[in-house]
Amino acid sequence: MAQANGSAPEAAAPSTKGPAVIGINFGNTYASIAVLTKEGHADCIANEDGERQIACAVSFHGEEIYIGNQAKPQLVKNAENTIVGFRNLLGKKFSEIPKDQPITSAPVIQHPEQPDAAAYKVAILQPAPTPIAAPTPSVRSVAATPAASHLPTPRSEPTPAERVLTVTEVASIFLKSLVQSAQDFLGRKVEGAVIAIPSWFDESARAALEEAAKEAEIDVLQYLDEASAASLISVTSPAKTLDADRNTLLVDLGQSALSLSLLSIRHGLVYSIASSYDTSVNGEQIDVKLLKYFAKDFTKKTKIPLQVCPAKDKADQRAEAKLRLALEHTKRTISASSGAASCSVESMKDGMDFNTTVNRMRFDLECRSVYTAVVAAATRLLESVGFEPIHVDEIIYVGGSASLPGLDETFFTNGFPESVVTPFTEGSVLGGGSGDPTSLLARGCALQAKVLAGIPADQVEIREAFKRGSEHASVHATSKTLGIILPEDVSEGDAKAGDLGGQWVLGVPKETPLPYRRIVQFDCDLGEGTEGERKVGMDLWEVSEGVKVENIKQSKEEPEEGEEDEEEEEEEEEEIREKTLTKETQLGSLQLSCKHPIKEKGRWKTTVEVQFVVGHAGGVILTAREIHKDGKGEPTTLTIHPVSQS
Amino acid sequence: MASVIKLPIRAPPLPSSWSPTSNSKKTIGPLAKRTLLPVGPAYLAHVRRSVHNHSFEDHDR
Ligand SMILES: Nc1ncnc2c1ncn2[C@@H]1O[C@H](COP(=O)(O)OP(=O)(O)OP(=O)(O)O)[C@@H](O)[C@H]1O
Ligand SMILES: [Mg+2]
Repeated sequence: MAQANGSAPEAAAPSTKGPAVIGINFGNTYASIAVLTKEGHADCIANEDGERQIACAVSFHGEEIYIGNQAKPQLVKNAENTIVGFRNLLGKKFSEIPKDQPITSAPVIQHPEQPDAAAYKVAILQPAPTPIAAPTPSVRSVAATPAASHLPTPRSEPTPAERVLTVTEVASIFLKSLVQSAQDFLGRKVEGAVIAIPSWFDESARAALEEAAKEAEIDVLQYLDEASAASLISVTSPAKTLDADRNTLLVDLGQSALSLSLLSIRHGLVYSIASSYDTSVNGEQIDVKLLKYFAKDFTKKTKIPLQVCPAKDKADQRAEAKLRLALEHTKRTISASSGAASCSVESMKDGMDFNTTVNRMRFDLECRSVYTAVVAAATRLLESVGFEPIHVDEIIYVGGSASLPGLDETFFTNGFPESVVTPFTEGSVLGGGSGDPTSLLARGCALQAKVLAGIPADQVEIREAFKRGSEHASVHATSKTLGIILPEDVSEGDAKAGDLGGQWVLGVPKETPLPYRRIVQFDCDLGEGTEGERKVGMDLWEVSEGVKVENIKQSKEEPEEGEEDEEEEEEEEEEIREKTLTKETQLGSLQLSCKHPIKEKGRWKTTVEVQFVVGHAGGVILTAREIHKDGKGEPTTLTIHPVSQS
Repeated sequence: MASVIKLPIRAPPLPSSWSPTSNSKKTIGPLAKRTLLPVGPAYLAHVRRSVHNHSFEDHDR
């Protein structure tokens, strides 16, 4: 904790290249790294294996250590020395770790010396003549890049040995290799990193991660929760159609859990209105569905029985491990194009190869139950805080499985209106676009690292404000939506304006942190009259938001008298949902005399600028002034007293 | 910071029947306590404002 933010990057960066800071997404299954470009954008980089999604796996094979995607194939023949899934075990006691899972990699054991500590035991070859390592081997004795391990000089035979590693040590080895990859890419030392952490990380998980980072000699500028990292991308490069003030649903479908957050984004300030974390919906379920589907297909094609998830015996276990590796490619192909995707496994079982293709429709059919579970959980989260899908302006996706277009489609078929902007509707998922769910967290962390690196080292109070529990993060927020109604002759008004009695202009949406300011400009029709004072008037109102649901019958009209309908065949009914506003409290009015109207097609018009300011304590200052070609007119102001705090 | 949002609307002519209501003593609804995510340039600006006790106007300069 103490060193999280405290250490400033020493001196300014030597060159014009900007600070050598990076963002790290350290997931349980995959990790990714992002750096800053010359232009100050964040870019997810590929490691020396050409991988942007770096598998969180460390494998020991003789004298070699494989890290990342090179370690994964070891799960087929060298599973007992291949460590995966360690991120989620950080900070957990051995007794807290469930033991009922099928073992497909190096098992978690009780550490031989440390009480109730989780560890892994792997077989290695100890290079001779180096003496047997001390009980706490330094991480640096491990070559971070496996490529460099073939030494040119011949030497005597290495000796078999055992190595015990704690979860924290494994994490440290892995993190160190990530930073090494970034360093190789940048060609200079990494000065600081922001690392994303999941919302459920508790004190001990944080402490373990901090220890791992320290062992790996990483100067961590901030441990940033995943929702924060993800929101920063939306704030920095929002879709063009989005307002600066919006409600954003964050959907992170990871391999082990579904994390959801409803975010209030207001002019770049972000907070969570509600969030949930659910391990009963996850990407692993998608894998299981597909593994079973392909296993069945294999049996159908070859008549060789194959049972997976769980596997029946060693042969099936090995086939499943191979199929899992192949599935990675299949899933990525499905999300990258609308065509069919292949799945190929050499010698899957009994020496038989497996080659097949699956199309989008079939793929989505297999995964549908997971997709609908995600959307149902999101809808429940919204309901819990009185929101409807129609009040969501934007969806952000995070995580590998959220790259699947079928998930996005399910949101729209299961209650989310077309007005919702998603990276799929924006076309920003593919080609590492700004909406790419697999690199979003790393990129968000890199941008945050840039923000932090830009704070001068002597501005201690400001640096401290990025630590957990900072008082600067506590704010008051509005609970009702505030805006003005530009009154209209009800006789002329159309049905829509009728309810409110005029044209609605949003001022301050509910769930807005204070203080807040919004400035809007719009044109005003001043009528055709020639004489007299020309005025613009507005009423300041608090309104409540709702939805109007209308069932529109698609086909022929029904008979008027509905009494005698005895459950006839349902006609095609389409549900139309519309946002509604209901007046709640009038706070005051404002009148502005127009001094600079111009005549256009026989009618007078002017442009008005309205500023809404709400102070810390809820006091409102509404200011209206005319805008004309030579500048701004005299402001007229309405002041509403602060909310009295109990 | 002081971005102006241009709305694609045209306010209807003011009805002759309209007159401003006299200022009520009402205030906006109750405030809720929330915790900002400590992320991004906007949070940094928020912290700078609150550390230096600046108003929006000071910050624009
Ligand atoms: N483009 C893609 N299309 C479909 N699936 C993908 C894609 N990229 C990765 N995946 C899958 O996503 C899963 C990994 O998801 P992710 O990286 O979000 O997990 P994680 O963050 O490590 O796990 P968790 O958040 O649960 O701890 C893997 O099963 C991987 O195969
Ligand atoms: Mg994740």
